[in-house]
Amino acid sequence: MTFTQECLIPVERERLWDFLMEVPKVASCVPGLETVEAVNASAYKGSLRLQVGPIRLSLQGTMTIEEQDRSSWRARIRAEANDRRVGGGIRARMSLTLVPGEGGTRLQIVTDLAILGRIGEFGQPVIKKKADALLEEFARNLGAALVA
Amino acid sequence: MNAFEYAAPRTLDEALTVLREHGEEARVIAGGTALVTMMRQRLVSPGYLISLHDIPGLNRIEVANSGLRIGALVTHREVETSPIVRERIPVLAETFRRVASVRIRNMATVGGALAHADPNQDPPVTLIALGARVEIRGAVGRRELPVEEFFRDYYESSLAPGEVVTAVVAPQLPPASGAAYVKFLPRTADDYATVAVAAVVSLEPDGERCRQARIALGSVGVTPIRARAAEALLAGQRFSAELLQAAGESIKGAVDPLSDHRGSAAYKREMAAVIVARALTQARDAARATARGTR
Repeated sequence: MTFTQECLIPVERERLWDFLMEVPKVASCVPGLETVEAVNASAYKGSLRLQVGPIRLSLQGTMTIEEQDRSSWRARIRAEANDRRVGGGIRARMSLTLVPGEGGTRLQIVTDLAILGRIGEFGQPVIKKKADALLEEFARNLGAALVA
Repeated sequence: MNAFEYAAPRTLDEALTVLREHGEEARVIAGGTALVTMMRQRLVSPGYLISLHDIPGLNRIEVANSGLRIGALVTHREVETSPIVRERIPVLAETFRRVASVRIRNMATVGGALAHADPNQDPPVTLIALGARVEIRGAVGRRELPVEEFFRDYYESSLAPGEVVTAVVAPQLPPASGAAYVKFLPRTADDYATVAVAAVVSLEPDGERCRQARIALGSVGVTPIRARAAEALLAGQRFSAELLQAAGESIKGAVDPLSDHRGSAAYKREMAAVIVARALTQARDAARATARGTR
């Protein structure tokens, strides 16, 4: 499943880029992210808590920055995570682009997402709505962190 | 499935106390058709199950303020076959008859289905169209709210931690009114709906114009919904093909279906308009028959 999302962060592009490329900083803005730890210069491992209705997921996995190109304001990220208890996981490739916008910078995210195993059976229909809610919260956190 | 402790209290107060003590670890179980399936799939792993089965008084269907009060432990099959439901609110018996298979209906309870808050279920749709209310008990006492305000999100209800659904109260139809539940399920008879619509139509004394309509839909978003804009279009109007089409068009803007193996969001949106027109037609015909019968 591929979907495109966008949000406006009220800061200039350079500042947003520098913040986004510092994983530990940006991690603090990701809703439900509990731990993050560098494996090497471009890879991190961590855990994320996510609730869909009565189901609480605890996703453990890795995130790799595959490309970061400041000249075109574009970055590509790959993430893989599993929930051992429920059984299943997610595989995501995300492409981030920063575009100047009215009153700030527009963060455009194209996500190619696969949800595997039991999580998929239950969560597939609502994953886009959940992703939109998460981005909205992420954007709010990001705005607050950068403006402060 | 995970290991869990099991309690079967004899009173509601006792059940509420145990529920409070164990907090998020505990889940209330009635028929178990939803919860046990989720436990087997390890989607949920409660450490403590509190059965409501041994609590007397939760399994009654009673006449209340000329409507019906249906206890949380009443099974779907009991609603379907109850003479008192068939006599007073036949659309309710018909709706419960459409749920899954008879094996499921023999186990699944009215309260359990509401608490599960699955947006694809049949009963909430008709209960919303009828203007039914949910009765809830918690540590601080009893509260009641309209079924349409009970559902919050995908599998999320407005039950607070420590609260239990105890009954649902459905009013009888107003005079010169008819109701219909139309479940569109192109796959198998025991499937969830692709789109489901319940409509209640009340006619003016002329038997032609719509005095009031109530429309609810299921399987068209993260919760069942009430279609107030379409209802407003119908109020005071004479039924015509154009009017039904306009109501259908307005439905398309009210629904937000999820794409799944039963159909794409776009397909469900189109079908919602079609099924709403059918349900309104059936409800209108039923209302005319009632009006003629009482004249």
